[in-house]
Amino acid sequence: MKDLLRILIAPLVWLATFSAIYGLLGLICGHGIGGTVLGLSLPRVLLITAYALAILLQVALLAVLYHPRLASRSGFVRFVSRITGWVGLVATGYALFPATVSSVCL
Amino acid sequence: MNALERHRRLTTIWASEPGMRGWVSTVNHTDLGRMFLFTAFVFFVIGGLLAMLIRAQLATPHSAFAGPEIYNQIFTMHGTIMMFLFAIPSFEGLAIYLLPKILGTRDLAFPRLTAYGYWCYVFGGAMLLVSMLLGIAPDGGWFIYPPLSGAIHSPGINIDFWLIGITFVEISAIAAAVEITVSILKYRAPGMSLEKMPIFAWYALITALMILTGFPPLILESVLLELERAFGLPFFQAELGGDSLLWQHLFWLFGHPEVYIIFLPAAGVISTVLPVMCRTTLLGYGWIVAAAVALAFLSFGLWVHHMFTTGIPHMGLAFFSAASTLVAVPTGVQIFAWIGTMWKGRPELHLPMLHILGFFCTFVIGGLTGVMVAVVPFDWQAHDTAFITAHLHYVLFGGFVFPILAGVYYWLPHVTGQRRFFRLGELAFALVFLGFHVTFLAMHWVGLMGQRRRIPTYAPEDGWTAINLISSIGSFVLAIGLAMIVIDVVLHALIAARGKRNPWGAGTSEWAMMTPPPAYNFASLPHVDSRAPLAADPNLAVRLARGEGYLATPRKGWRETLSVDIATGRPEMHVIYPANTRLPVTMSAVTGLFFLSLLVKFYWTVPLALAGVVILAWKWVWGLGCKEDLGALRVREGVTLPNAATAERSPGWWGTLFLLTANATFFGSLLFGFAFLWTVAPGWPPPAWFAGSMVTAGVGCLGALLGPVAMRQAIRANRRGDTPLPGIVLVLIGALGVAIACTAMMLQTPAPMGHAYGATLLVLGGYGLFHAVLGVLMAVFLTARVLSGFTSPARWAEFPIVCLWIDYLSIVSLLILLAGHLPGLLS
Repeated sequence: MKDLLRILIAPLVWLATFSAIYGLLGLICGHGIGGTVLGLSLPRVLLITAYALAILLQVALLAVLYHPRLASRSGFVRFVSRITGWVGLVATGYALFPATVSSVCL
Repeated sequence: MNALERHRRLTTIWASEPGMRGWVSTVNHTDLGRMFLFTAFVFFVIGGLLAMLIRAQLATPHSAFAGPEIYNQIFTMHGTIMMFLFAIPSFEGLAIYLLPKILGTRDLAFPRLTAYGYWCYVFGGAMLLVSMLLGIAPDGGWFIYPPLSGAIHSPGINIDFWLIGITFVEISAIAAAVEITVSILKYRAPGMSLEKMPIFAWYALITALMILTGFPPLILESVLLELERAFGLPFFQAELGGDSLLWQHLFWLFGHPEVYIIFLPAAGVISTVLPVMCRTTLLGYGWIVAAAVALAFLSFGLWVHHMFTTGIPHMGLAFFSAASTLVAVPTGVQIFAWIGTMWKGRPELHLPMLHILGFFCTFVIGGLTGVMVAVVPFDWQAHDTAFITAHLHYVLFGGFVFPILAGVYYWLPHVTGQRRFFRLGELAFALVFLGFHVTFLAMHWVGLMGQRRRIPTYAPEDGWTAINLISSIGSFVLAIGLAMIVIDVVLHALIAARGKRNPWGAGTSEWAMMTPPPAYNFASLPHVDSRAPLAADPNLAVRLARGEGYLATPRKGWRETLSVDIATGRPEMHVIYPANTRLPVTMSAVTGLFFLSLLVKFYWTVPLALAGVVILAWKWVWGLGCKEDLGALRVREGVTLPNAATAERSPGWWGTLFLLTANATFFGSLLFGFAFLWTVAPGWPPPAWFAGSMVTAGVGCLGALLGPVAMRQAIRANRRGDTPLPGIVLVLIGALGVAIACTAMMLQTPAPMGHAYGATLLVLGGYGLFHAVLGVLMAVFLTARVLSGFTSPARWAEFPIVCLWIDYLSIVSLLILLAGHLPGLLS
């Protein structure tokens, strides 16, 4: 079961963070969260922080999947889990990139 | 024992009852797989006939062929049948028939569950067909959007048929998904580690996991809409704190993964058949597994791309547009791996290969138009036009029907033991391919010219007449081609000549047996060292028939098999299956009575049906296990294994784990719905928050915390040889505490019919109460098992299963109490 989890974990975390950040956007727009922090728009700061955390989480997962002591003993599972690890990281960086540039609640 | 004697003894043990009795009492996966596939193709024919009616209607402007009311029913039933009664069940049927054979074992994990799922599918599907015959079929489109499908705008029974019938059918899908997941993870040939699994098993595993997490949102929203229609709980009524967009979110949380749930098994067929047709091995096995996993997960992050025109903020649109384009990458990886496989092999144009080539042409076009509609500005123009209808048919027909037809022709000699005699199939393929592309290329075109989906007619001055006529002619060519395939298959089954055992020279283990397959699959179970065991050992079938594998000697009339470690395939447990029984068909009939009672609003039979389900479920589980310790059982010369009854993680534990995964997704979707309404829906905050009572909440929390602790105490006592009954009694008390708290929440919730907030709390409380009652029943059942001598310090498999349920009850009840009380406390 641990080997299966190694294969599934990064895309699963992508899905969770993707949904969470979309939920955060809903919360910001639904409740009219506004204001500024350090001269920057608060919604933008929240979204970029969440985006950065999501990427960091994926990087950490990838590091775990490459770690000799934590990676699977099966060569096949190591190979597949590292690919899915990269999928999680790239998907996070790409699909959530609009958090940095797109208008927030328009 | 010689091979013939072994065959006779195993057949006596494993065979279904003869004649019609066998149909209703069989639990054999080969029989049930065939029954599933046959029934699915009957629905395919019905869905196809409805498609012909649609095209007849649209062939000419101002058509008087069918009035709008009937036309609405026709296109709704066409979509519903194809998606729910053909595509998913035909995957289930193929997987049920094939998996134990390619995994090198004798049956699926839970044979009676397979049968129960099949009968739920038949009864649920029949319910929908009856509605059509009576002229009261669902008529709101296959995704039944409210407010159109709400009681105000659709007051008849039509929509109820969809909501209740589909929920009934989805029980079958969840049952099959649990079955398939546990079977692939635990019921493989010894030695078959994850990397040696046939590629079809990987695809089936991923698909089954997707069903477990994709279908619960659909079941939830069907329940919520039925509650709104029957009892006035306003989940989707904007004026009462509901939101019709909630339906769209929940529907597409299911609906988009559904596309991949349909495509991935078909990709599994391609990945299995294509290398055989090309006389080579699959290129990039590991990459394909990773791509399938990636595709599965990415598909869950695309749901909003069906909702680009609903006024979602630009950033949300951009998230889902980006994710939608991303999904093309793992799909492309698979396509290129298949092209590479053809490149390195020597393709032979047998009939399955023709259908695979049909798949390539069609699916790639469907994928490319998919990328087009992932781009928001284009989608705004094309949304709800015939372009989308054409796109989805390219994806689904190309991505599912062509591969499944390839699979039909590939495995037909296995099912019948005969070889094709007539050559009708090649001509049929040509007609299907030509007819399909004429029909749907034209539909792209007319969609770009502005023709909306689902319109019953149009005017000559719209300029769509010639294109629609061409499309309709194409559809009839397609229908003739499909009819010829049906005739070809029937002729093959009835009058073809006896074929050889492995006509394609395939390497997977399903061909290492007699064809048609015997009821027990393998006379002895193989030890697998390769992804293609038959290619590695061409004499495998003979060696297994001679008894040179595991479990070669039948004993005590048991249906025996082995389960293995998930990662390594090391033999782990000895398993005894239940024999033929009418319990599954009876239980599905009683389940059907429950749904039928709700449908016709004959509520006094609902508790009777529920009581019937409880009694039958009790009987179902009571028949398992034994009253004596079996000790270590010899499964091969020098190899002994413990029986599953002595394992902490028995097959039942694994089944429960995956059932609870689906259950947790259902609950998570309910919490999402609550959060969505609270955050987005108009008409919030509600007129009054739930005040609650600290006493009942405290009782509920204590009960929730007591259950898991007491259950573990009971397990420890049982393992020590002491009586576990005091611990079980405490579990029962804990579950009763949760039941009291949830009941109080349901009774005190403010005006459930006046606002979606109260309605949601009522459903949350009901969910908690249901699981608390389940916890009580399990505690009582476990007490009865202990008192009857079914458990011992060695035979304790039932305790961890109940423990899983009690842990789940504890977690969800705490969350329910928190969700119920927190808003009131904060306010």
